[in-house]
Amino acid sequence: MLLSYNRLGGLGLALWAITILVCLFLLVPIIFIAALSFGSSQWLVFPPPAWTLRWYRDLAADPRWLDAALTSAKVGVLSAALAVALGLMASFALVRGRFPGRNLLKALFLTPMVLPVIVFAVAIYALFLRIGLNGTLVGFVLAHTVLAFPFAVIPIVNSLEGFDKSIEDAAVLCGASPLRAKLKITLPAIRIGLFSAAIFAFLISWDEVVVAIFMASPDLQTLPVRIWGALRQDLTPVIAAASTILVAFTLLVMAAAALLRRRISK
Amino acid sequence: MATDVSSPGWRWRGLGPAIPALALLALFFVIPVVSLLLRSVLEPQFGLQNYAELFATSTYARVFYNTFVVASLVTAVSLLLGYPVAWLLAIMPQRWANLVLAVILVSMWTNLLARTYAWMVLLQRTGVINTTLMKLGLISEPLALVKNLTGVTIGMTYIMLPFIILPLYASIRALDPTTLQAAALCGAGRWQAFRRVLLPLSAPGAAAGGLMVFVMSLGYFVTPALLGGTSHMMLAEMIAQLVQSLLNWGLGSAAAFLLLSVTLALYAVQIRFFGGMR
Amino acid sequence: MTLKSILTGTFLAAGMAVAASAQDMVFTSWGGTTQDAQAASWAAPFTEKTGVAVRQDGPTDYGKLKAMVESGNVDWDVVDVEYDFAIAAAKMGLLEPIDFGVVDRAAIDPRFATDHAVGSFYYSFVIGYNKDALPAEPASWADVFDTAKFPGKRSFYKWSAPGVLEAALLADGVAADALYPLDLDRAFAKLDTIKSDIIWWGGGAESQQLLASGEAPIGSFWNGRIFAIQQEGGNVGVSWNQNLTAADVLVVPKGAKNKDAAMKFLAEATGATGQAKLAAATGYAPINVNSKAEMDPAVVAELPDAHVDSQINLDMAYWAEHRDEIAKRWYDWQAK
Repeated sequence: MLLSYNRLGGLGLALWAITILVCLFLLVPIIFIAALSFGSSQWLVFPPPAWTLRWYRDLAADPRWLDAALTSAKVGVLSAALAVALGLMASFALVRGRFPGRNLLKALFLTPMVLPVIVFAVAIYALFLRIGLNGTLVGFVLAHTVLAFPFAVIPIVNSLEGFDKSIEDAAVLCGASPLRAKLKITLPAIRIGLFSAAIFAFLISWDEVVVAIFMASPDLQTLPVRIWGALRQDLTPVIAAASTILVAFTLLVMAAAALLRRRISK
Repeated sequence: MATDVSSPGWRWRGLGPAIPALALLALFFVIPVVSLLLRSVLEPQFGLQNYAELFATSTYARVFYNTFVVASLVTAVSLLLGYPVAWLLAIMPQRWANLVLAVILVSMWTNLLARTYAWMVLLQRTGVINTTLMKLGLISEPLALVKNLTGVTIGMTYIMLPFIILPLYASIRALDPTTLQAAALCGAGRWQAFRRVLLPLSAPGAAAGGLMVFVMSLGYFVTPALLGGTSHMMLAEMIAQLVQSLLNWGLGSAAAFLLLSVTLALYAVQIRFFGGMR
Repeated sequence: MTLKSILTGTFLAAGMAVAASAQDMVFTSWGGTTQDAQAASWAAPFTEKTGVAVRQDGPTDYGKLKAMVESGNVDWDVVDVEYDFAIAAAKMGLLEPIDFGVVDRAAIDPRFATDHAVGSFYYSFVIGYNKDALPAEPASWADVFDTAKFPGKRSFYKWSAPGVLEAALLADGVAADALYPLDLDRAFAKLDTIKSDIIWWGGGAESQQLLASGEAPIGSFWNGRIFAIQQEGGNVGVSWNQNLTAADVLVVPKGAKNKDAAMKFLAEATGATGQAKLAAATGYAPINVNSKAEMDPAVVAELPDAHVDSQINLDMAYWAEHRDEIAKRWYDWQAK
């Protein structure tokens, strides 16, 4: 009864009420920010005295925003690629390996996810200054790869655990090399895990502020760094315009991902 | 064991592929973090003076206390709101569930700063929420919703909810409805069935999600910095302040070490009792 | 062509490439409209004259600055910092001495030049108020602390820095010439009387937003930020009585890679024209004594300089001396 939807009765109503409220709670800020981006008030008065596209024009007129978006995309794609490649190999070791300290290794691999980002940010900044990697693309990508790594490992490990290794072994018995068997049999079988890993890793990097604030240099500003600076210094509605475009972009990526996922899983 | 032929030795069988990742983490994660922590006992000179100062100063004690209060509050509110949603989500018709899941994912994937910014504007004294409530005649004075504990709790709950709902949804979905039918057959009422069967069965999922949220909240920086007030400063903000404005790397590292130890201890609990990977 | 000459040529070319890539420098400030104005008023003409490109970075972060100097890998050449920090940083050995053979010290208001720092611009903490929300015009810091006469929230600068403690002491009746050394007990006691009515602002934009929206209809603000609200058509007023002057200064971190270019940049930035342009764009006052002659008199009338008789100079040397101790007490009090 508690787990069958049609027999919940009054309880169902209560659950629905809470769910709808939570959904509203989750949606309101996003809708609000879109509305704000069209408001004419410089000082974020709402409802605004008039509607305008001024903030979008300002946004388009300032090439630094586009540059930042491109930098974010570049760092995100590179970090995601690196995190997935390393995560895939590491996952084979975690799932199939039988060595002492395997659980410890597993724990270590997930630590970047739980370590307070501020600690990591300060630490890696001090190191990169010393070895001259600060403010470089390489440094940025390495730092973000560390942060994205756990989020790449988790889905890959999960899908690899669900994969029946005997199929791969069968391919090897039929004469395929172990590597070829992995490439032709195992990878396609865990493609959804790989796909999720790539998306997660990208989003971690795309959305990351704290490390990025330390890593940024004049030539290398990611979008969150720009928004952070604007929040602290200008607080102009241009931030709302940029955010709205980001939300639209996110919706597009999600829709594309859903479509792609459906196609992959067929 | 055809696939393991290439492995270096019997004892370390299968470790090989993990080595690149291990190298990355060792060089760019373990080493910098450990050398940062070393600064806490090396600056300004060798000794434990930073820790002594940290424990002796009432401000810092209060910051620790605040951090735990905020993290607990956020975890509790997220669980209270998230549990019913996850429950309904697990049993509602698929197309509705897809819709709710889409809402959750959209909010989760929207830029963190953009969301926090929205709350800054929504919650202020002259913001939409206060003006609406005043127009409706529900309040006569604007409520203080931001730059205080309320603001941080709202903003962080907003961010953490998906991290409660999604794992809980998975764990309730995995439950077998027949156990509850069995409970009903044995004469259990709704409340009893909930308390005796559903709650205990979903508890591991809830605890795992809750612990995760608690740990993430402990080290949160951005949201408290933008939505919090001066009287509820949290640990991450304090570390940033010590390092960035006061230039006290020794003390900042000591605070970082404490935050790190608590986090890792809780993380160990999580792995021990709930497995680390879900 | 012999092998030797080819090699020499290659080395020369390589050397020139290094020299060419050294022909740019990094200027770091706090971001936002002020840095945009600095870029337009100083960097653009500087690049035109010298051919040295100026890359903008920011926001200024003292932790980063210190870490850079300690690591010997200094990315920043000129940094805009608060005056009291500059004095403290010079003591910690984090700054290069200014080359006054390149920078003309005589033209700089002596209040804003030290051996390691030259003024960037100077500003006043003034009493700002929202005309829509207040019954009357506040005339002194005592009014800002008077919640009966001026109900509503009031806003002050959040960080431990010169300005707020002085305002509290003035409101409590301390004479302007008896402010220093600061009576911290008395200042905090005065602040305690309005503590629950304070909304802190952490940055310029936030202060503007608080004041313009009426969130906090009265408080202490940077004069340039109020100037900007008025330009945008916001209905806010300013009282210059007891305005408290402070300054941002420009420093060169120790070990900066382009020290020579940095000094030339400072000469441009502190020159009469550079200062005049920046002042016109921001509403902050020029630190070069010859700038006002180059400026529109209407703009000059709105600068802190036009209100010298009601002006009180914050004592940066005192602050540099007691920076850490006041900061500790400040954050401790705020957190209570």
